[in-house]
Amino acid sequence: MNLYVIYPEITVLVLALALIIIDLLLPSEETRRPLGYITILVLSILAISLFWQYHLTISAYFYQGLFYYDNYAIFFKQLFLLAVILTVLFSLQYIDTMKYSSEFYSMILFALTGMMILASANDFLTFFIGLELMTISFYALSGFGLTNKKSSEAAIKYLIIGSLSTAVTLYGISLIYGTAHSFDFAVVCKNPEFFSALGIAGMMMITAGIFFKMSIIPFHMWAPDTYEGAPVPVTGLLAMGSKAAAIAVFMRILFEAFFPAADYFMPVLAVFSAICMIGGNIAAMKQKNIKRMLAYSSIAQAGYMMVGICAASPQGLKGVLFYAFLYVLANTGAFAVVTVVALEKKGTDYEQFTALSQSAPVLAMVMSVSLLSMAGIPPTAGFAGKLYLFMAVVEHGYLWLAFVGFIMSMLSVYYYLKVVRVMYTGKSDGSTITISGAVRAAVLISMTATVVFGVWPQYLSMLTDFAAITFLR
Amino acid sequence: MSYFAKIFILLIAATIFPIMAMIVPLIIQPRQPNKEKNSQYECGVDTVGRNIIRYRISYFLYAIIFVVFDVETIFLFPWAVKFNDLGLFALVEMFIFAGILAIGLAYAWKKGALTWK
Repeated sequence: MNLYVIYPEITVLVLALALIIIDLLLPSEETRRPLGYITILVLSILAISLFWQYHLTISAYFYQGLFYYDNYAIFFKQLFLLAVILTVLFSLQYIDTMKYSSEFYSMILFALTGMMILASANDFLTFFIGLELMTISFYALSGFGLTNKKSSEAAIKYLIIGSLSTAVTLYGISLIYGTAHSFDFAVVCKNPEFFSALGIAGMMMITAGIFFKMSIIPFHMWAPDTYEGAPVPVTGLLAMGSKAAAIAVFMRILFEAFFPAADYFMPVLAVFSAICMIGGNIAAMKQKNIKRMLAYSSIAQAGYMMVGICAASPQGLKGVLFYAFLYVLANTGAFAVVTVVALEKKGTDYEQFTALSQSAPVLAMVMSVSLLSMAGIPPTAGFAGKLYLFMAVVEHGYLWLAFVGFIMSMLSVYYYLKVVRVMYTGKSDGSTITISGAVRAAVLISMTATVVFGVWPQYLSMLTDFAAITFLR
Repeated sequence: MSYFAKIFILLIAATIFPIMAMIVPLIIQPRQPNKEKNSQYECGVDTVGRNIIRYRISYFLYAIIFVVFDVETIFLFPWAVKFNDLGLFALVEMFIFAGILAIGLAYAWKKGALTWK
């Protein structure tokens, strides 16, 4: 029993419980801002300490293979930590306006624990526990706007459809256990009985459950409504954390548990990915609300990341990791701006963004850079990410998929630039938005990183190479 | 496969039995309807008003807090039975587990979930 392997999870969990205790001890009229600072500090130290955990060959198991700790898992853990740190950083002010702000921090940390467990899951039971820990925390988080009807609607919708998908996943796991007589990924893939009709039905059900979390198109119906209604920081975390965690565990399941069937999976995934890119981008064009637009754009982004999975090579995986990372950066930039605007103007429609360049030039600039990165325009990191993804998939022979990706990226520029046009034209009402230091720090970190990784992708790509190659041995 | 065949037989039996329990009385019962017999709650009190009413949310809070203790008991039983074999590690583990639940209870208490408003 080497507990050392799960120290990131233990740290986050202890932090979450400590926040609850501190909240109980603090007088109720006191501000809860220090809890946010503690969260950021502890998570930052944890994220940096994980850099020393990368190893060339050694991978550690915890508790008889239930939990796997390799470079791939460490990379994703850092990614989730970064997403949560930046989200908390830009939403400190937003969280202060909530009634239960300390619970909000704790719930975010519980969701983070779930994501980190998912990244390390090496067994269908661990996978299920991580998935549920993450999702149940997100049900509660999306309903945190207690006075807002839309927030309740978002939470209820997410809860009902989420429970359904959980049930489907669980049913799939039970079918796989029935045929392969094990939960362990490494054991499951070696059992020849696994490829019976029942086993394949189980694989499909698990895949459908994960696709729901990734909001791949036939399973995406909850996403726009939930994204619109949930508090803005939660929307940001749903789009980055929840999605990246689902992708992390999906790749692990696909290339370990379903590995003998992976070749049959690829054409199916390619079709899903194409549907996602086409549907997400076209639906995003006619949205009037920025959060809804970002929801549809995140569906399209999930499609781009699936392109890398279709390649089924270390290059493709590396592309996915790279893209997931810079998607987190671009998303924090965009959602930080949306958070500030939602607080100041009480809304997230396009009108609220009119002439943002005059009331808050920094925010308008960050928003533009983030959106251009999502669209994949060269000086930003989005370009490098898409380059890796499409190069990998073309090498694997899916030329048509790369073409769909190219065309859809071009179309996506239209609706991303529509936001930029709204921000830089129009009449200002003369008001200026004051930006707190924390928000300024978050947006500047995300923008700088987006540009730096766009111009010098090799620094990040070294890390992703490392994670991808040790994963696909 | 024989292992699952047993479950399948159980499934069929479980489906047939309630259906039979409904069909057989239909065939053999004597029919003598009267007003009292046709009322919805023959053996209870007649309902008053609509059935859709608001329940106090406090009921649910109590129920949830009760579940916390339920789960704790479920884990404590097997632990207590095997306590001698498990040793110090399990003792510490169980204290951590109970501690987390205690934090939950303390939270509910402080936030006023236990007071009937």
